[in-house]
Amino acid sequence: MSIRSAVMALTVLAGGITFAAETYPSKPLEIVAPANPGGGFDALARAISRSLDTEKLYPQSNSVINKPGAGGAIGFAYMQMKSKDNYELTVFSPPLIIGSINGTFPSRYTELTPIAKLITDYQVFLVRADSPYKTFKDLMAAVKRNPQAVKFAGGSAAGNMDHLAFCKVAKAAGVDPSKLVYVAFSGGGEAMTTLLGGNVAFVSTGIGEAIPQIQAGTVRALAVTAPERRGGPMASVPTVKEAGINVTYEVWRGVFGTPGMSKEAQEYWMKTLKTMSTTKSWADSVQKMQWVDAYADAAAFAKFLAEENKSYEDLMKNLGLVK
Amino acid sequence: MLHNLALGFSVAGTPFNLLLAFIGVLMGTLIGVLPGIGPMTGVALLIPLTFGMPPTSAIILMAGIYYGAMYGGSTTSILVNTPGESASVVTCLDGYEMAKKGRAGPALAAAAIGSFIAGTFATLALMAFGPVLAKVALHFGPPEFFALMVMGLTVVTSLAGRSMLKALFATLFGLAIAMIGIDLQSAAQRFTFGNPELMDGVEFLVVAIGLFALTEVFINISEMKHAKEVTTEKIQGGLWLTKEDWKRFWPSCTRGTLSGFFVGGIAGAGAAVASFVSYGIEKRMSKHKDELGKGAIEGVTGPESANNAAAGGSLIHLLCLGIPGSGTTAIMLGALIMLGLQPGPLLFTQQPEFVWGLIASMYIGNVMLLVLNLPLVGMWVKLLKVPEYLLTLFIIMFSFLGVYTMNNSIQDLVIMVLFGIIGYGMKRADIPASPVILGMVLGKQMEEKFRQSMVISDGSLSIFFSRPIALALLALAVISITNPYWKHIGAFVKGLFMKPEADAA
Repeated sequence: MSIRSAVMALTVLAGGITFAAETYPSKPLEIVAPANPGGGFDALARAISRSLDTEKLYPQSNSVINKPGAGGAIGFAYMQMKSKDNYELTVFSPPLIIGSINGTFPSRYTELTPIAKLITDYQVFLVRADSPYKTFKDLMAAVKRNPQAVKFAGGSAAGNMDHLAFCKVAKAAGVDPSKLVYVAFSGGGEAMTTLLGGNVAFVSTGIGEAIPQIQAGTVRALAVTAPERRGGPMASVPTVKEAGINVTYEVWRGVFGTPGMSKEAQEYWMKTLKTMSTTKSWADSVQKMQWVDAYADAAAFAKFLAEENKSYEDLMKNLGLVK
Repeated sequence: MLHNLALGFSVAGTPFNLLLAFIGVLMGTLIGVLPGIGPMTGVALLIPLTFGMPPTSAIILMAGIYYGAMYGGSTTSILVNTPGESASVVTCLDGYEMAKKGRAGPALAAAAIGSFIAGTFATLALMAFGPVLAKVALHFGPPEFFALMVMGLTVVTSLAGRSMLKALFATLFGLAIAMIGIDLQSAAQRFTFGNPELMDGVEFLVVAIGLFALTEVFINISEMKHAKEVTTEKIQGGLWLTKEDWKRFWPSCTRGTLSGFFVGGIAGAGAAVASFVSYGIEKRMSKHKDELGKGAIEGVTGPESANNAAAGGSLIHLLCLGIPGSGTTAIMLGALIMLGLQPGPLLFTQQPEFVWGLIASMYIGNVMLLVLNLPLVGMWVKLLKVPEYLLTLFIIMFSFLGVYTMNNSIQDLVIMVLFGIIGYGMKRADIPASPVILGMVLGKQMEEKFRQSMVISDGSLSIFFSRPIALALLALAVISITNPYWKHIGAFVKGLFMKPEADAA
């Protein structure tokens, strides 16, 4: 902790000295991870930080700072506080949109300056190995017959990604999502134990958490929400589309600047992150973390976010999660 | 198995891995001593260091921090009434009382030896029964968890001071605090007043440090004014356990180890819950139960053994099921996946050198911790010779530093001070503080598990009575809470039958 404070003190000091600099990157960069060390946001922020260093893409120093809490709302508030600061970046994922719709975030997601979408991940639906549901079609048929009887679990609160991912699929298949029964757990591990203990019919979770259980044969993956099949251990798992439901659910992660970030700084980071996404050190991180490269520039990212916002708003209204 | 263990020691015994085990347990002890920086943050901050290490070396380092923190957490609980991490809150009760009586040395020694025995036991059990226990663990669904929490809550009868009513009041207060934050099943915000920092609820260590450490500070300050004389704690007797201590040490250590291993390893409920359950067991089964709360060695040995056994036990969940049983093991799982390893049912067969290397390093680490901690007892005890006003300042500094580093949040500091003031009022009104903590620790999980059970059963309470494990745990809870009244009930029933006769006569 003392090292971090020292770095922060130096950051402040350096900022004070270089006030007269004219060209853009004249100060150290701070990357805000809106979660605790060890989580997905933290890993992404640190991967960006490492690549900027190893590839010498940013002439100044950079550091990662953790602002955990309230599913990212604390980090969002911190970015608001730093409005117009051109030396603050942060990383976010769908909860940014979800939180700005249901009001757990202090403001709308549009306040942040979009810079780039970097990576993505997908959800997977798992049943126990001895489940009567052999295929995703079997499962959906049972859900259609009686949603009440086919309960599912996830590792986050109701109205979050694990819950909404299946709601989106069900809605596309013509099932009223408000009829579904979701059991919320405070972590993916707890949800998995509940599935293995036979207490729920299936689990909605991220692919990374599911792989060990799939390999061990304790669970069966019925479908992924990706547009096409994933590689490696997931190669044999069909997509939701293959089951005849034309929908995908993406767990994207992208980079944002502060509200009111200067055009110059936004363009600088668009270029720099684009270069970064093609480097070897970045490819290494992506491979190590089992991420999927999904680079999109600021304009495409902003358009994508608007579509996401629309889709979530409809879904959440349907579920009664927003008025 | 011996062949496997030999393989393990050959992996763990390389100079590099020995060094990592040593660094791990040393850092873990430090992290445990400092309030605020818990094993979870400690492990997380070290993850970048493990990049490029072989997975076995990485887990040796991380596991060392994890169980090292369980050792270290007791030190500040005993000496200055400031719990170093959540699993050591209960240790304050009797540990600090012992220190006040000048018996800090034996308390620290008992905590260290108890931790060693429990840690070694958990390692042995992991080795022998790991995969089997993992299967049993799957029978713990939400209803069983709820029943376990109810059983844990009956511990309140043993935390009550003179008045049961006051203890129940304090428990309800704790349960109420546990309700702050976003509700899991409905995503509704409760008692957050739109404040984003309250959405995750109030951190339990913030309340614990306020109620224990700051309250102590306020009491010290108010009493200093009355009597201007500065009193220093006298160290009486030896630093080591007496013959009598040893006699009382063994039964409580055994009970603590077994109950901790059950709670952490089988139920997967974490070290803090384990320490509370163990304290309750001591209060009921110890030969010296009347002394608990007044500085009984059982109150230190039991919970300290329990939290170490639970920490070892939760590694079973991680390694054999691939499912983390605590926050720290969740982070370790993330790190292992990053290192290209897939914890899970196949780990034992696919990666024997990893699993057995870790197990061997846990033996080595536990020995290192004992060697590291026992000589330090004398040094820690000297802390109590510091004049009270300096010690008070020291506690204030420790509390603020620890709570701030947890989330970098000023609001947490305000909440801590608020609970310090509440704690002072409670002390003056003779309301015990520990049931508040108990209510907080168990309340959140108890509610979550109850609601999950209700969703699963479509709202039928029969789910708690139709499942044998849940039913058995609930029955135990009923027995233990009615235990003190059986005599009265017996007398009452007798009275009912006697009366008509008396009337007739």
